Order: sequence, then structure tokens, then C-alpha cells
Amino acid sequence: MKPLMLQGHERSITQIKYNREGDLLFSVAKDSTPNVWYTINGERLGTYDGHRGTVWSVDVNWDSTKLLTGAADLSSRLWDCETGAVINVYETKSSVRSCNFSFCGNLFNYTTDRQMKHEPRICVFDIREPADAEPALSFVVDTKEMSKPMCSLWGALNEYLITGHDDGTISHWDLKTGQLLHSVKEHTMLIKDMQLSSDQMMLVTASKDKTAKLYDAPTLEHLKTYKTDRPVNSAAISPIRDHVVLGGGQEAMEVTTTSTKVGKFDAKFFHLVFEEEFGRVKGHFGPINSLAFHPNGKSYSSGGEDGFVRMHEFDQSYLDFEFEC
Amino acid sequence: MVSWADASENEKTSWADQVEEEETVEFSKEGDLPPSSQKIVGNIKTVIEYKYNDDDKKVKVIRKYKIETKKTSKSVARRKLLKKFGLSVNDSSGPQRATTMVSEDVQMQFVTNREEEMLQEQEDPTLSKFKHQLQYYMFFKNFKGTAQKDRADEGDKPETDDTTTTAPAAPGKYVPPSMRSGGNTAGSSMPTGRGSRDEQATIRVTNLSEETKESDLQELFKPFGPIQRIYLAKDKHTQQSKGFAFINFYNRDDAAKAIKSVCGFGYDHLILNVEWAKPSTPAGTS
Repeated sequence: MKPLMLQGHERSITQIKYNREGDLLFSVAKDSTPNVWYTINGERLGTYDGHRGTVWSVDVNWDSTKLLTGAADLSSRLWDCETGAVINVYETKSSVRSCNFSFCGNLFNYTTDRQMKHEPRICVFDIREPADAEPALSFVVDTKEMSKPMCSLWGALNEYLITGHDDGTISHWDLKTGQLLHSVKEHTMLIKDMQLSSDQMMLVTASKDKTAKLYDAPTLEHLKTYKTDRPVNSAAISPIRDHVVLGGGQEAMEVTTTSTKVGKFDAKFFHLVFEEEFGRVKGHFGPINSLAFHPNGKSYSSGGEDGFVRMHEFDQSYLDFEFEC
Repeated sequence: MVSWADASENEKTSWADQVEEEETVEFSKEGDLPPSSQKIVGNIKTVIEYKYNDDDKKVKVIRKYKIETKKTSKSVARRKLLKKFGLSVNDSSGPQRATTMVSEDVQMQFVTNREEEMLQEQEDPTLSKFKHQLQYYMFFKNFKGTAQKDRADEGDKPETDDTTTTAPAAPGKYVPPSMRSGGNTAGSSMPTGRGSRDEQATIRVTNLSEETKESDLQELFKPFGPIQRIYLAKDKHTQQSKGFAFINFYNRDDAAKAIKSVCGFGYDHLILNVEWAKPSTPAGTS
């Protein structure tokens, strides 16, 4: 396969996401400008100008009309996806670590960091309300009892919010009351990324403890573990095959002290059920920070610490590949 | 709900399909640049641009693109026609060279030897320490080797091999050959001791056919004398021969004999080329 290299960012990529139909790819990075790309040819459609700090998270709603970003400049912004105009700015007390639309696209959440004596907070807004309206739900995560949330996702039917935490815990929160429903701690170190399967029933987490784990999303029952020899920064479940792709690498601060040969910056493909690695794709010259499968499962993209997004169209050899057990 | 529209009017040029045809015509440096133009004939789009090159000469650049038409849902087709915004607001249609590049071909490597990696992980610290020491020893040994190259004799080779095999095996654990010299450790680029193999009696056979196997070579070269080792270069994935091989004889005379008789010999519809193997890069390069 000949990947398309997208060079729209000056600093390392923090997250990439496809829209539902897969014709657009959104990328955010530690520079302040989110980008949107056509997946068909790698053409850049536009940039969303306005943030003044690292953009940690991005999400697009169901019909690709609105874009949500969460940044370290103490704001979360709602954009018109097609023109790049700001619709709304949601100011926060500390930097926004993750943000997501609910499935319907009328609600969204963001989670904030613990900074400047502010405790991490999880907020839910209704985008139909005016800009200065009160959040639909807002509660503080007590850091005496649990660590700060690093990533979040909406569960099926908007019934609960899933958060992944700094200490490796994942939790369910009731979206009506803000109560902690239950939490499990399978990872030993922080969770960098979580992604749901296309039917929202399975959850894969990527952790710094060099593993990725698969859970049953509604119950958080631990199902599978994918072991690697590097910190895992992102993991995604294929929408068409029983495959999981893992990306990671040594931490950015250690990269300069080791040769690229042992850098382990390749994307690893695991079988979902047998937990065995079957394929690798090289390309990045820094750790992979974010991975996403195209909704049709026939291509995937990765964004790395090197600032590039690489869009890979799978070869026939992958699509024909059958796992031998 | 998602209807399929014939999106023939929104033609998508895919950069990957750019026909590699760049023609440059130089003009003398006079007057302004003519405006760029584009023409669409059939499914070929031709873009003509004028610019100044590094030597301040006017250059005409002709690029040809193949236009592909894809059928998609209405909403996707509509989005394809959106106006660009933000930093891309002044970009023309189609991918821009500044932001989109086609990178080199990469293949998915299919991995099967999972066990080897597990072994690597479970390696105990004493073993890896020992490996480091061994590597250190080998490194300096090779240095000496280059200085006294003339004196290197055949006895040299089995000795090095012995140390590598027996030493790490001491903790009572099998270590695959690929890892004996610490392939996973930081100094993996250090010479692994292979350079010290006596190459005096080594010949290189080229122009082998793809179907050649080591046993074939064994058969072919056995008549000339005892063979120490046969190395046939193979493709990692297909396991097919890459078309060349190295044969180590015990005696230099045997090797010379082999070169004389096999060079130019027809084998598998190809004519073999046999010559002395050039010594691999001196061991002490690092």
C-alpha cells in the first residue's frame, strides 16, 4: 500500500477521527489548528482557526455538520464543520482533555484536567441551548478517591459515560445524576485512548502499561488482553474483521536516546479473539499517538508524534488474510 | 435514506493517479508569467503552470491528471464540493503538494514467530549482562582481527562460533541463533563476529534461478571438495532464492577448482557466474 502523508500540523498529532461516512478525516495536534481532510485523495478541505493551545481531542457529530474540539487553552469549541466558523466557545477552568458528541449529536461532554487547584470536572452540554446556558450536567471527580479522567466516550443509548483514568481505571457514570455506576481497574498505568467497536458493544483501551484490553462496554467485563513491548497510545477495532490495531512506541522524551531500529513505532495488528499479533505496518518515525479505522474497514489512518497523519489503504493481501490458529 | 446519486458532475481528481509526466520548457527571463491554465479532454486533465525555477528562469510545468468518477451518497458528494476554508482557503482544487504527499510503498509484514518475541521479553538479567560482555569481547576481538588480517586462519572461525553457541547457553536455556549476539540490545549495530569468518575459500555464485535450493547447490559443488557452509540468499516472505549464493569451502584450492569449472556453466536455463567472494566490510568499521 502507498500511504498518503498528510502534513498539516507543525507539532505532534494528538487525535484523529473519521466522520460516520468516512469521507472526511479530522486531525488535531499540539499546534492549535484542527485540520479536516478528504479521505479519497488526501486533500485538505480546511482548518479550524481559533484555539490558542494544544488541542487534545476532536469529535464530529452524526451528520458531519458540527465539530467539537477540546483544548488546553481552557476552552472547548463548537464549529461549523463545513465552513470552519466558530459556533460556540465553552470556557473552562482547566484544560479540556477529551470531548465527545453523544450519538444524536445534540449533547456533548468534555472532561477537564486537574490544574491550578481545580479538580477534574466532567460536563455535559446541550448544543441547542444558548452559549451562556448552564451545563445539562456538571460534576467534579474527587481526586482523593480516584485519579483524573484521560479520555471519555458515550455509552450506547446515552445512558452512561465511560471514562478512562490516569491510574488505569475505567468507570461508568450515570448521565442523569452524575453518579459513579461502577469502575474496574485492569490496567496498571494510565489509559491513553479508548475506542468503541462499530456497534458500541465492545470497548478497547490503550494503556501506558504496554497492553491494550478489550471490554464488554455495557458491563465493563474484561475480555481480552493484547500484550506488546511498548507503551500503547491508541487502539482501534476493525469494523469488518476480528482485528485490533495497536499503535504506540517509546515515550517522546526517550525517542532521541534510542535508534529508530528499536523505536517500535510500527502499528501492530492483533487478532481480536486469539490475542495474537499477525501483522505490522511501519512508517512513522515517532510513536503513533492516534489510530482510526475507516468506517468501511478497508483503510486506516495513524497520527504520530512526528506530526504526520498517514492514511493507509489496505492491500488485498490484508483483506484476504485468514488467521491460522 | 442514503440515496445513490450519479455524481458525475463532481469529478474527483485523485493525486495518486497523477500521470508522471512533467515537462519543463525554459523561457528567457522577460516579461511576466503567463497565467496558468487547465484543460480537460476526456478523462485527462492537463494543468499548465508557469513559474521561476531556482536559476530565475521561467519554467513551464505541464501536469496531467487522470480523472476518476466515483458514485457516492448525496451527502458525501455535496461535501466534496464544499469551499475550502481556514488555511486552505486559497488552495486550488485537488490535493496540494505542501500538505499531501504520497509516501513510499509499505507492506504489512505478517508476523508468525511470536514465540521468539516472548523469549526476548522473558530474558533474565544475568543472561543479558553476559550477552553484553560477549558483545564487548567480540567487538574488540574484531578490531584485532583487522590489524592481523593476514594471520587469520581457518581455525579462527569455529572458535568464534563456539563461543557464541556455548556461552549464552550456560544458564540452561536455548537461545535462537538470531539472538545470540544480542540482537535486541542497544548495540545491535555492532559487528556480530560474522566478519571474522574465514573468507579465503569462499566463492560467490550469481545468476541462479529462483527455484534453486540449498540442496541443489550442495549437489553441484560437492564434487570439488568438502564444503563448510552454503548460504543461499532468500526472500524473507516468499522463501525464493534471490539469485545468488555463497559457498565456503574448507580449502582454497577446491574453491578455485569450482570457479574454473562452474563459471559459465548452464544451470536451469541460466548461465552461472562464479567468482571469489569479496570480503565483507572490514570488521572494525564502527
